[in-house]
Amino acid sequence: MNALPDRYASDELVLSNPSDGRSLAQRLTKRYAARITGAFMVPGREGTFAPLPDDLPPALAQALRSRGIDQLYSHQTEAWTATQSGAHVAIVTPTASGKSLCYTLPVITAAMTQNAKALYLFPTKALAQDQVAELLELNQAGDLGVKAFTFDGDTPGDARQAIRLHGDIVVSNPDMLHQAILPHHTKWAQFFENLRYVVIDEVHTYRGVFGSHVANVIRRLKRVCAFYGVTPQFILCSATIGNPKEHAEALIEDVVTAITESGAPTGDKHVLLWNPPVVNPDLGLRASARSQTNRIARLAIKSGMKTLVFAQSRTMVEVLTKYLKDVFDSDPRKPARIRAYRGGYLPKERRAAEREMRAGTIDGIVSTSALELGVDIGSLDVVVLNGYPGSVAATWQRFGRAGRRQQAALGVLVASSDPLDQYLVRHPEFFQGAPPEHARIQPDQPLILLDHIRCAAFELPFIGDEMFGTEVATPWLDVLGEEGVLHREGERWEWIADSYPAIAVSLRSVADGNFVVVDRTNGRQTIIAEVDYTAAPVTLYEGAIHMIQSVPYQVERLDWEGRKAYVTRTHVDYYTDAIDYTKLKVLDCFDTSNAGCGQAHHGEVHVVRRVPGYKKIRFYSHENIGFGPVNLPDQELHTTAVWWQLAQVVLDAAFEQRQQALDGFLGAAYALHIVATVAVMAEARDLQKSVGSGDGAWFVSADVAGRGQIRGSDGQPASLAADAPFTPTVYLYDAFPGGIGQSEPLFNCREDLVAQSVTLIERCDCRDGCPGCVGPVLAADEEAVTTPKALALRVLALLVAL
Amino acid sequence: MQGVTQRASSSDRFVPGVEIAPGLFLTGATMDWGCPSPMIDTAFARWQEPVAYDRLLHFDTETTGLAGGAGTRAWMIGAADWLTDGRFRVRQLTTTTMGAETAMLRTFAQWLQPNTVLVSYNGKCYDSPLLKTRYRLARLPDPLSGLVHLDLLHPVRRHWKGVWENCRLVTAERELLGVVREDDLPGSEAPAAWLSYLRGGSAVNLRRVLAHNTQDLKSLAGVLLHLARLSE
Repeated sequence: MNALPDRYASDELVLSNPSDGRSLAQRLTKRYAARITGAFMVPGREGTFAPLPDDLPPALAQALRSRGIDQLYSHQTEAWTATQSGAHVAIVTPTASGKSLCYTLPVITAAMTQNAKALYLFPTKALAQDQVAELLELNQAGDLGVKAFTFDGDTPGDARQAIRLHGDIVVSNPDMLHQAILPHHTKWAQFFENLRYVVIDEVHTYRGVFGSHVANVIRRLKRVCAFYGVTPQFILCSATIGNPKEHAEALIEDVVTAITESGAPTGDKHVLLWNPPVVNPDLGLRASARSQTNRIARLAIKSGMKTLVFAQSRTMVEVLTKYLKDVFDSDPRKPARIRAYRGGYLPKERRAAEREMRAGTIDGIVSTSALELGVDIGSLDVVVLNGYPGSVAATWQRFGRAGRRQQAALGVLVASSDPLDQYLVRHPEFFQGAPPEHARIQPDQPLILLDHIRCAAFELPFIGDEMFGTEVATPWLDVLGEEGVLHREGERWEWIADSYPAIAVSLRSVADGNFVVVDRTNGRQTIIAEVDYTAAPVTLYEGAIHMIQSVPYQVERLDWEGRKAYVTRTHVDYYTDAIDYTKLKVLDCFDTSNAGCGQAHHGEVHVVRRVPGYKKIRFYSHENIGFGPVNLPDQELHTTAVWWQLAQVVLDAAFEQRQQALDGFLGAAYALHIVATVAVMAEARDLQKSVGSGDGAWFVSADVAGRGQIRGSDGQPASLAADAPFTPTVYLYDAFPGGIGQSEPLFNCREDLVAQSVTLIERCDCRDGCPGCVGPVLAADEEAVTTPKALALRVLALLVAL
Repeated sequence: MQGVTQRASSSDRFVPGVEIAPGLFLTGATMDWGCPSPMIDTAFARWQEPVAYDRLLHFDTETTGLAGGAGTRAWMIGAADWLTDGRFRVRQLTTTTMGAETAMLRTFAQWLQPNTVLVSYNGKCYDSPLLKTRYRLARLPDPLSGLVHLDLLHPVRRHWKGVWENCRLVTAERELLGVVREDDLPGSEAPAAWLSYLRGGSAVNLRRVLAHNTQDLKSLAGVLLHLARLSE
């Protein structure tokens, strides 16, 4: 078979001496110096070991030895000691450092010696299945007689009874606990009566809205446990985040012993930040991240290094896999060297890919975030990220996949054209110096709390002044009583309605109903995506180009009431960007501080969001090539926000015209939003920005040229009387009703946010402003001092701490 | 939510029976109903041995709904058996407060003997698990586990599925026993009847549920005898 011509076959970069991340990093740096915006090395360390604890049951110690485990890493020993002392424990060590043994040892020991049961919670089904497979292997190796089962949506009805009665270790996920186990806890009575350990792995994924829900599910779990007279010990595991102990304690609302020093040996890790080269200087067009990722992966594989590529979408996984297979798997008679790995594959295929990776028969694997979590695929030499995964913590988790003992590994982050990517890759010092993000939850968020008190009341009656989490439940029970779902008799609040509340509460998305996207191309009727309620108005308006795995579809009709968007496949060279403006009114100010010549505030706001139209923006060049109208109902919400203001006298002195100040505020808001999104580990859509008058009288949206347009409270363009009060304000607000606790941390790091926004804009290569700094603008003939970029800097300079 | 507005108290609050514990009312009645042979042939249920008729206890609960899980409760238990003189005895426990549930569960447990054979219609999947949950929540031993349970729904389905429009008890009693109910309150309205009473409303519908439950128990026994004769 004749393979495609391989331009790299004789590339001098291919290493003759395989498996060295350092030499590959050096060669890449030498050859592609202009593309590498940052290069640094994280030194490795020796392993720290300890003998198997004496108090392990002999059969378990024997099983470990027969699996080649003669000693433990120091963190595993620490975890053993801490669990044996009865403490709740949080283990925070890098990927592939043997975390699962930290909980396996106490759990199996308790099962063997006291018939104690354990509940494991993993965020995904695949991880749960892996864990059971691992437990079964260990169990078999020592004939330990410990029974472990997965319990998830796929578990057949007839198996469930057996699992409830006979499972020593039940491996499930928070959603199942919430919807299937807790509401039916009486069926699990035997299990709960003997529940000794609750293991929650990958707790860093339980943050934001999801994490706030999970914290409440844990409150319900503890409440049910109390009914059965047990107080299980919690063992939590997390990948590296900025606040592991605090986060673990917030989740279980108890003191935990944190174990943060990994004893697992690692080699040096070299990291390169890679910006694709500019291929069209006139348009500022860069080569695609895909082509660069492909090139780096090829070089690495040809150099004999085991390589893992992370792509952001399932489609991109397939595309990159194909490109690599075209090179390495051109001979169908030979076993495949390249594999794809993503959700949507059958478990069997995934298991096969994992096995082959561990066995070392696969040289390259291309994956979605599915491999970011603890799936065991053995050690790798090179990790290439096709695009920034959205947080520093996730980036390190992915890089963490590379690294063997005493061998240098390489991680390359290839930036896409996304503003966030471009920001990071142009600020290597930010990436290098940045501590991993903090995971935050807000379990007492009123809507979430009420949902779970409702579920809890279904599970067990509330009695007297019972607490739920940190608050007395009574006021909430009154609400549910008014609603007619609870009935009060004396001191007891009992569930009375004919309903099953957990079904109506999804842990992973916000209420109000998701929209489905229906593809009607060529008479089809296929659902191809789901979109959150909050994102629908800005992504599914009629005329929108809706990208699904980088394939463009055009929205033809939006059925708002029916929560459906009908789309057809299209071929266009532009994408659409909703012009959404928001009117904010401050309801309550919690805190205020000086910010340069102005002030920063934190408090509660009322937001009205409207989408009057959209812009068409050409790919790559980002020019604005048209406009379309949108007709949708207003979205309203009460939430929390952080905002910055400058007094009128300050503005009058700094700007000749008010228009300039508005342009400056608009650009500053854009930059602050980028920086803040990075800072709080938020999904970009969970945090929103707005510019308006401090008194809510008017607000500002970007016009077709990207300049500020004042609009009155009716949304119509307006102009201010020369003597009207003028206090433009930039707001960053939480896009979840009631707020999900993002604004307070933003307020706390307000000075950094302003400083980083200044750096972001100053370092940007564009002249007037671009989507990478102050937002897309249409260039106009203006002096350099009055470009949107310069104006935004002028506003921010006034807010920089003195 | 409408329930809240019905809180206005009604003058008709009469619940039949004797209040044997606070909020718990017991009604008892005996009647001629069916004429069992001493040993009931249970081959229709694929059981090996016939069952002595005085071991049978027919039961049927009225609940707060079909949602299932720990939040669904039984507010009434009806049970019926043949006494040694061949008379059919119907006993019903009705709670008028939530707090009376424990007394109801204790009383019902006293009606069960180790050799009792439970007879129900879909009780294996519905009434029995529900009661087990309630015993567990009340921290009482569960008297149902270990008892033999004859659920008539399954043999009825085996015989008449596809023949009748459906295999609900009302259909079976009409087809097999010629029972036609008058002024019957459908079982689906039982939750609302109790809820409304609990909130101070009228007891009229509560009494209709009791009548409905009595008929259910009679039909249960009638269908059982009909099935037993089939295999003779």
